[in-house]
Amino acid sequence: MTAETPARPPRVRTKSRRQARTDLPQPPADAAIWSQGLTRQYGTRRSVDRINLHVPTGALSGFVGPNGAGKTTTLRMLLGLIRPTGGHGFVLGHPVGSPAGYLSRVGAMIEGPTFHPGLTGRANLLLLARLRRLGPERVAETLDTVGLTSRADDRFSLYSLGMKQRLGIAAALLPGPELLILDEPTNGLDPAGIREIRSLLKDLAGARMTVFVSSHLLSEVEQICDHLVMIRTGRLLFQGHVTDLLAAEDPRLVLTPEHAGDTERLAALLRDHGLRVDPPEPSTESVSVHAPEAVAANLNKIAMKAGITLRALTAYRPTLEETFLVATGGVDGDLIPRSRSSPDASVGFHSPRVPAQDIPGRVS
Amino acid sequence: MTPMFRAEWVKIGRPRFFFGTLAAIAAVAALGAVLTMLSVGHSDYDGVPVTATALAAADGVMQGLEAVSILLGVMALAVTAAVIGSDFTHGTLRNQLIAYPHRLRLLAGKCLALAAFVAVMVTAAMAVAAAMSFAIAPATGVSTAAWHSSAGLVEIGKGYLNVLMASLGYATIGVLAGVVFRSPAAAVSVGLAYALPLEMLVSRIWSPAATWLPARLMDTFAAGAHGYHITYAAAGGRILLFCAAAVVVAAGLFRHRDITS
Ligand SMILES: Nc1ncnc2c1ncn2[C@@H]1O[C@H](COP(=O)(O)OP(=O)(O)OP(=O)(O)O)[C@@H](O)[C@H]1O
Ligand SMILES: [Mg+2]
Repeated sequence: MTAETPARPPRVRTKSRRQARTDLPQPPADAAIWSQGLTRQYGTRRSVDRINLHVPTGALSGFVGPNGAGKTTTLRMLLGLIRPTGGHGFVLGHPVGSPAGYLSRVGAMIEGPTFHPGLTGRANLLLLARLRRLGPERVAETLDTVGLTSRADDRFSLYSLGMKQRLGIAAALLPGPELLILDEPTNGLDPAGIREIRSLLKDLAGARMTVFVSSHLLSEVEQICDHLVMIRTGRLLFQGHVTDLLAAEDPRLVLTPEHAGDTERLAALLRDHGLRVDPPEPSTESVSVHAPEAVAANLNKIAMKAGITLRALTAYRPTLEETFLVATGGVDGDLIPRSRSSPDASVGFHSPRVPAQDIPGRVS
Repeated sequence: MTPMFRAEWVKIGRPRFFFGTLAAIAAVAALGAVLTMLSVGHSDYDGVPVTATALAAADGVMQGLEAVSILLGVMALAVTAAVIGSDFTHGTLRNQLIAYPHRLRLLAGKCLALAAFVAVMVTAAMAVAAAMSFAIAPATGVSTAAWHSSAGLVEIGKGYLNVLMASLGYATIGVLAGVVFRSPAAAVSVGLAYALPLEMLVSRIWSPAATWLPARLMDTFAAGAHGYHITYAAAGGRILLFCAAAVVVAAGLFRHRDITS
């Protein structure tokens, strides 16, 4: 290229644009979703308040917060539907300001399944498939994935809530996305439906897809997620791998002597063995020790040697929610009442626990 | 543009909606043609006597279509306002924007599909009105000789284009209403209330307004500006001006507004 070529002015312009781009923060290479100071203000209220997200590629990440926490608002910003009022967001390495750069590789369902009521499930998907330049075969495939094939030619308005949810997920799966964003996909589903969605998400994440799924219940996503983002009133409370959180786990064993009079003696005995024992509460006849289930047999032997017979020995493993609150020093009473710490309310980490409906009442 | 067009067509091409509208349009066009031919020997809306000789002129064949052009315009406005508005209220717009984030191109595809729909409807109306006029004319003593002539064919073509352009003008008002109000009920009712009673009232109270109000201009254009206080070309120019402004406003809002529905 010679010096006289008239290509010079545009080159200068390109350079200045590139300059502007370097002012943007750069997302780390491993981040599927990344943001810095992401904010959305409505009037004087900040629905999303300076959130720094980092959802690693390949994670099955739960996005948890009570009603009104700002989950949907955040997801809308990530999908280019609403503009942030501050901060920066990146999805698959592209800024949220230019969603065309990444949305072809993203599938999403925001705020429940919304479709044209007069069209069949299949026609609704076909409409979206055409926008993505996909054919009817892909529509048939996704309908099959979510198990809707037999009802695909019924009008959407005739679907049950569960079928609507599944159609919403099918729409999100249409492009065979690298990143799947689902906003409360289990809303309104029965336990069997919830289990189905969970196993579907697990399968998808197993297939190297990054999944970002919101829920207002930690208990609902903790069983499947390996990564968590927790927000409340627009603020980020915690984000990281579930294993990080579990490191802060504080399992307990609760020992109940046969004779109430032995409680004090048992507590002292265990303390002498170097165990951390909670100061016994006057009303209870049991002793609570900070120790994992594995040492239960040893504790039983210690008690027996001292002539104390145990009436009950219960292992108590805290929920992720409680662990989280301990880890962040956020045990402020209103999220988890103390009564939650009774052994009957808590079973193992992977087993069903408190009925889901109980928790929203606690939060807020 | 084709993917967006074809996507929108999934919605407006569904048989219930498409053939339902088509049937209504055909009925309206037939009614217009039949009533026009039957009005021989009576006075029309403006009190001018309708004669068989006048209807036998080359442009007589399109009189029936022109008589109902305002209804075709109302249909075009209502359909576009409802289709665009319901994308917001059904929440389907956000799915579409996730699938295809180029907002202006998406809107353009929708508008093209809606324009094609309006064109199909007006074409059907033209065919039905012309056929009915030919069928009824002999019974009311109207000669169809001039209609068959080449001048008659030209008049059919002109009448068709005038009504089509006027209907597309109404459709543009519908798109604007749909984008502004983001709900089919509000868009259709406000759009129609504006185009019909409001503009008619204003132009009746102060007649010069009729040469500037968009819906009045479209009616003028549909009738080929015969007997109006404005020339055909001027009416066309002003309609284009209004439509361009409406498109700019609708596109700007669609491009920049948050999608919160
Ligand atoms: N368009 C809007 N105008 C004003 N305020 C809004 C708007 N959209 C959301 N908000 C507010 O932003 C806050 C967060 O709402 P958002 O829908 O993001 O919560 P969420 O975490 O998704 O809650 P949920 O679990 O109930 O779906 C709420 O206080 C809500 O009232
Ligand atoms: Mg929400």
